[in-house]
Amino acid sequence: MGLFDLTDLVVQRGLEGASLRQQVLANNLANANTAGFKRSDVDFQSSLSAALDSGDPAQSLDALTFQPQADTSTTMTADGNNVDTDTEMAGLTQNAVEYEALAAVEQQRFAMLKSAMGA
Amino acid sequence: MSGLFGAIGISASGMTAERLRMDVTSENLANADSTRGADGQPYRRQEVVLQQGGQSFSDALGQAQAGVEVAGIVSDPSPGRKVYDPGHPDADAQGYVTMPNVDTVTEMTDLITESRSYEANTQAMQTAKQLYLKTLDLLR
Repeated sequence: MGLFDLTDLVVQRGLEGASLRQQVLANNLANANTAGFKRSDVDFQSSLSAALDSGDPAQSLDALTFQPQADTSTTMTADGNNVDTDTEMAGLTQNAVEYEALAAVEQQRFAMLKSAMGA
Repeated sequence: MSGLFGAIGISASGMTAERLRMDVTSENLANADSTRGADGQPYRRQEVVLQQGGQSFSDALGQAQAGVEVAGIVSDPSPGRKVYDPGHPDADAQGYVTMPNVDTVTEMTDLITESRSYEANTQAMQTAKQLYLKTLDLLR
């Protein structure tokens, strides 16, 4: 199993997913006034849980890639743009809390490892 | 690891774009009564056209999240309003002066949109910075 177990792997991939989501939502906000732009989002939680439910979670988590999905079905403004600034800000806030929770868990696990090593 | 730095860059591109839009809106407001532009004609309202960033090499590599960029600044082709002022040096034979096609109310509402969008981008950048500092905390 090594020094880091499955939980560490999930948490690390979760941090990756949350940082990609931050990037995608920031991109939506940056393009809030771009004509015809359609917003994207990443559902990294579903990808992670699908990987955990698979036969070999460690292998699936390793091979996992997060893919942003564009939402082309809606329209907010006359120029075809569908970015709602409030939704994006809410998503950013939610994502930041998730990221911080994951980072806190990982920090605790590092602390446990350190104390086990007598450091 | 480039994820969060990428987010900061994306927000920066949004701030740059909104600031340019504010510059252009200010120019429109400043020239709302300029009856002589560079070509001797009344000033024409300018507008910034934005496009999704990274429509280039990095996009081809699959890095689709690349912020926003300015496609160009275009002139608004709508006709200017006519004002009856026979004493004006630029008045035509009937005494009408063609004023720029700038509507102050439109420009002021644009200015509000631009400043709010700018703020949204700074907020997103703030969040990215906060997350990045949390990651650094893992090393403590």
